[in-house]
Amino acid sequence: MIGKAARRQGRLFLSPTILLLLAFTLFPFLFTLALVFGEARFVGGGLQIGFVGTRNWARLFQDERFWNALMVTLRIVAVAVSLEYLLGLGLALLVDRKVRGQNFFRVLFIVPMLLTPIAVGYMWRMIFDVGRGPITGVLQRLGVSPVGWLTDTSVAIYSIVITDIWQWTPFMFLILYAALQAIPPDYIEAARVDGASGWQVFRRVILPLLAPASIAAILLRMVECFKIVDTIYIMTGGGPGRSTESMTLFAYAIGFRAFDLDYGATIAFSLFLTLLVAAMVFVNMTRRLRDVRME
Amino acid sequence: MRTGMIIGVVCLVLFGAALGMAQARKFEGVTITVFTQTPPYIAKPVMMFAPDWERLTGAKVRLITAPWGELYPKMYSSFALGQALFDIVIMPAAWLPDFAEAGFLVPLDDFIKKDPYIEWEDILPVYRERIVSWGGKIYAVPMDGDCHIFYYRKDALENPEYQAMFKAKYGYDLPVPPRTWKQVRDIAEFFHGWDWDGDGIINYGVVEPRRYAGQADWCFFSRTVGYVALPGQPGGQFFDPVTMKPRINSPGHIRALEDYVEIMKFGVPGMINMDSGEVRSVFASGVAAMAIDWGDIGVISEVGPESKVKGKVGYAILPGSYEVWDFAKGQWVTLPEPNQAGYLAFGGWVAAIDRNSRNIAAAYDFISYLSRPDNSYISVTTAETGFNPYRASHFERLAGWIGFGFSAEAAEAYLKAIRETIGHPNVQPDLRIPGAAKYFEALDAQLALVVAGQKTPKEALDEVARIWEQITNEYGRDAQLRAYRLSLGLPVR
Repeated sequence: MIGKAARRQGRLFLSPTILLLLAFTLFPFLFTLALVFGEARFVGGGLQIGFVGTRNWARLFQDERFWNALMVTLRIVAVAVSLEYLLGLGLALLVDRKVRGQNFFRVLFIVPMLLTPIAVGYMWRMIFDVGRGPITGVLQRLGVSPVGWLTDTSVAIYSIVITDIWQWTPFMFLILYAALQAIPPDYIEAARVDGASGWQVFRRVILPLLAPASIAAILLRMVECFKIVDTIYIMTGGGPGRSTESMTLFAYAIGFRAFDLDYGATIAFSLFLTLLVAAMVFVNMTRRLRDVRME
Repeated sequence: MRTGMIIGVVCLVLFGAALGMAQARKFEGVTITVFTQTPPYIAKPVMMFAPDWERLTGAKVRLITAPWGELYPKMYSSFALGQALFDIVIMPAAWLPDFAEAGFLVPLDDFIKKDPYIEWEDILPVYRERIVSWGGKIYAVPMDGDCHIFYYRKDALENPEYQAMFKAKYGYDLPVPPRTWKQVRDIAEFFHGWDWDGDGIINYGVVEPRRYAGQADWCFFSRTVGYVALPGQPGGQFFDPVTMKPRINSPGHIRALEDYVEIMKFGVPGMINMDSGEVRSVFASGVAAMAIDWGDIGVISEVGPESKVKGKVGYAILPGSYEVWDFAKGQWVTLPEPNQAGYLAFGGWVAAIDRNSRNIAAAYDFISYLSRPDNSYISVTTAETGFNPYRASHFERLAGWIGFGFSAEAAEAYLKAIRETIGHPNVQPDLRIPGAAKYFEALDAQLALVVAGQKTPKEALDEVARIWEQITNEYGRDAQLRAYRLSLGLPVR
């Protein structure tokens, strides 16, 4: 039996953590929620938030710029995360073999992930520069006309995707490589003894065993990719036109350029909801796949 | 007797000195907080002059900085919550109406009247009378004089061989400097895509910012002023000063936007993705014949260590147009001379004091110290301060500019162009009403669509007008109309 005094003491010890949690998670969340359903006005004496119901949401759903930002974000997430997974898996399988210089490659592959997105943005902006970039120089030498990597509305989004893949494939590689290392060699040996081909070993043994790590890696990367802002901000600023404007960049523009706090918060909150739905759909899909396989 | 006299005199001198010191160090123990943009630009002068002022007054200066995007919310919340986190804010002039209208700032009229050092009359009238005042009171002290001017390469435009080629192609003399946007277009086309400076690198017609959130909107208004600011017709280029209806989709604005898009054909590759900062370095690298910018291109070109255009740059007031849209008549009128109205893009940085500050006297003293003629002259002639000239004395003394790295000829031409712009009788102020950032953001987002070919100029400006109406209604039409008229110096009903 825990005595009253001990319980009180326990609560006392827990209180700093609870207070910190409230201060750093719950309070900002509630404040954002108030903004989402309110109208924020700075007036003498304080910030005044008046309740306006779903007005901000109605504005959001009628805003063509919001739908564009949502589609841009979804496209970037879908293409970048899928390719990052495939490339990360490929690299992990390659390095997992007994090859010379394994350690060197292992370190080399994770270097891009260690750079800040701002630095990566500037680096790729220079590489993609249509006037002075090295890619333009090479293409011109080959007699190919320059591509507007960052200036063509239909190409710019893929330049962003390439940059994201370059930087974040190492993340997938790291997780999948660690998972590969954890697979007991006996399983693979047993499959081989039973006459399984290389492809069958990969398809029937390695891939299922990698599933938990794959789900975690994809989910984590997806969450991060939905919030993509720094590289886009540096590389294109959301342009040309609105062809690369992500949800976060849109929220930033409304909140911190137009100082429209309530609408900016609504956009940010809609990103949170989108992310929640996307994560739930993904987890649900993977669970179903696992159930089908088990049946 | 004699020894006694000497001792007496020494004591008197020491006493006097001590007394003087005590009087001079009038803010002993006081700490003032200054809030502005992350260094070097704008914050640098505070860092340069704070130690001297601290020595003279005994006070301490605490500098707090934030990136551009965080300035407004932090200032506003500090003001609105009555926290007085910052005694002094150094902010864009466009935000002054928001803060002054809400009663957040200290009126400085009395301080200025009693200040023997600030030499208020030395500050150019457009800054001291319009930019820093609101509702008949002065709420800030100018720190920086901002306006857009026109830059061109003298070695290209003044070359007799090229002038002859230009005349043969276009049928008129190449004007140096160009006086209309039509001429700018022709010159840009002529100098586009060939190596006219013989350095083995292809040159281009113009370089201007076109990137979203890259200060392109100010470049757009630099083009509109010539088309819509009819001399003698007050009202500005943003709204109708009687109804507060947006003027942004007028035929004059649409024509300016058409020019703004067309000139991109003769721009440096990738111009659509360039902001002002990149435009400056590209122009200084020597590839473009013409550009529009604040005073910064001049400084970078003449003083920058990597500049390839030192001594080759010409400076002029913004070009204009013979045809100007008359809002009163609702039609185009043709003038005998091009309408070259200047534009006070951004309006410069100003220093103001929080009404809730507990150190108002010390805060004003520091602002005065920064702004007094000698110190501000050092600020505007020092690299990376971000401050451009705004006092008559800044234009009169060339020594500082020459010491800065300008040649005498370049300094004279540079200062003349700025002074002509600021002192132009039809110079147009920037938008200075509550919510100015919202209006500009709406415009900027539409400009991005136009330059990407996703909307026509008319479609985009009609949409801007629609959003501007919404913003006006949101803030209250009467309040906005009053603010707009105040910003233009028009009587308020």
